[in-house]
Amino acid sequence: MVETEQAPPGTVQPKLTLRGIRKSFTRRKITVEAIAGADLSVNQGEFVTLVGPSGCGKSTLLMIAAGLEEPTEGDVVVDGRLAGPPGPDRCVVFQRFALFPAMTVRKNIEFGLRMARVSSKERAERALAEIEMVGLQGFEDAYPHELSGGMQQRVAIARALVLEPDILLMDEPFGALDAQTRAVMQEQVARLCSELNLTVLFVTHSVEEAVYLGDRVAIMTARPGRIKDQILVPKDADWRGLSVEDATGHADFSALRTAVWKQVKEELNVRPATKS
Amino acid sequence: MRVTEQQRPVGQIRNGPPFGRHMPAVVGMTALVFVVVVWWILTAGTNIMSPQVMASPTDSAWTLGRLMVDPFAGSTLPEHALASLNRWARGYLAAVILGVPLGAIFAWYRDVRSALSPIFETLRYIPPFAWVPIAILWFGPGTTAQAIVVFIAAFPPCVINTHRALTTLDPTVLRAARTVGASRLATLIRVALPASTPGITAGLRIAVSNGWMALMGAELIVGQKGLGFLINAGGENGQPDVIIAGMVSIGILGLILDTLVLTLTRPMLQWRKGIESGD
Repeated sequence: MVETEQAPPGTVQPKLTLRGIRKSFTRRKITVEAIAGADLSVNQGEFVTLVGPSGCGKSTLLMIAAGLEEPTEGDVVVDGRLAGPPGPDRCVVFQRFALFPAMTVRKNIEFGLRMARVSSKERAERALAEIEMVGLQGFEDAYPHELSGGMQQRVAIARALVLEPDILLMDEPFGALDAQTRAVMQEQVARLCSELNLTVLFVTHSVEEAVYLGDRVAIMTARPGRIKDQILVPKDADWRGLSVEDATGHADFSALRTAVWKQVKEELNVRPATKS
Repeated sequence: MRVTEQQRPVGQIRNGPPFGRHMPAVVGMTALVFVVVVWWILTAGTNIMSPQVMASPTDSAWTLGRLMVDPFAGSTLPEHALASLNRWARGYLAAVILGVPLGAIFAWYRDVRSALSPIFETLRYIPPFAWVPIAILWFGPGTTAQAIVVFIAAFPPCVINTHRALTTLDPTVLRAARTVGASRLATLIRVALPASTPGITAGLRIAVSNGWMALMGAELIVGQKGLGFLINAGGENGQPDVIIAGMVSIGILGLILDTLVLTLTRPMLQWRKGIESGD
């Protein structure tokens, strides 16, 4: 059954909507509520970052959006229709890269196209274009274990982008990278996503990353997670297009970062430091 | 650069070990020569072990050469060896061809595993030799009965190693395959199995020795040919030199079979080059 719903006239129908998502796990007879009714939508061409304290269920929410996990309650809606099983319409970039270990860079990137029965000639052309876009020329025939973490994540991004996904879901993609590599990757992703006008839902625990990359920052509460607040990041902010280090020094950026950080901090449940 | 795994004596770090990278081979050969010398001293050298119970290295070597051309217990040594190899090859190939897919099915289709696993787990605790009487009853005391013993011994490591290798893969890699549009079966064949080759090929090698050893045991019990039959006949004739020559042949052929399988499976591990320094 396919449920279709029209957006009210005059409003834009979101590309992706998470509606009333609840998720609970039962382990050793103990039921833990991970997500307690999360509502979130991402519009076409919008980059939404999802930030929250660790263990708040933000990655689980992303996996539910991808169709890789079933919500206990609630719906994932893509273009007004209930989303089906996981597939190339909602590509995922994972924290630990998750490349296919026995395939070369080229084969990794071509794999999704191969599954879609794209001809080998077209596969090769499109893979090559992606390899150039993420700057991996010369490493086409390397195996994942021969690459650095940053390069592996670029392969993972190319593997997703080559399928021209409607929605790109990223689960702390730079969490496993060192600080310098992370900064470079953040700039590259910011540039790629704005050039290609991608629709992105991006999970991170870094407030700075959330503000730098997002058009909108959604903040989650501590477990059980809900969307606590959403903060718009102006598209025309002065620091847009700047490198991470230049942007973070900008006063407007700092103000936003502080606003988001305060909200996250409330969820950390840390007692304020007191003088003794 | 990778640090070599060899232990170097203190004080020789700068010059490297004597004989350089051939050091392990030199040490191994020295130990082998030492054992043969001790063997010779115990037998021909001092007669501590009389020729009735133990043949000397030289006698055993002569007998080995003689058995190449002169028949013993009906056949020459190469004929006995060929009979054994034929039985082994049939049983082993059947075990691999059926065992690896069954292990994959166990890993991928939980319902099939639930149905077949109790049967498999019960049967695998019946030793290969225990199948000899029923195999002979069904197929007669020939190649097929012996090949079944090899199959019974070689089958479990193929199944278990394939199953384990597949279930210990990083689950995120399998999720990644799903999100780029691969079906469950395509994920198994194109992503999971290639990534599991280290575990699977380890099982194939265990299966080589399991099958070969079980066959030698089965040939002691039944048959008119084969290396196991040869050493049994040597024992019944009171000829330790024949027994030793047969045992050495069994060991060398087992080593050759293992090396053969190792060589044939090496291309499947090519992608891992550099992860391990090898053995």
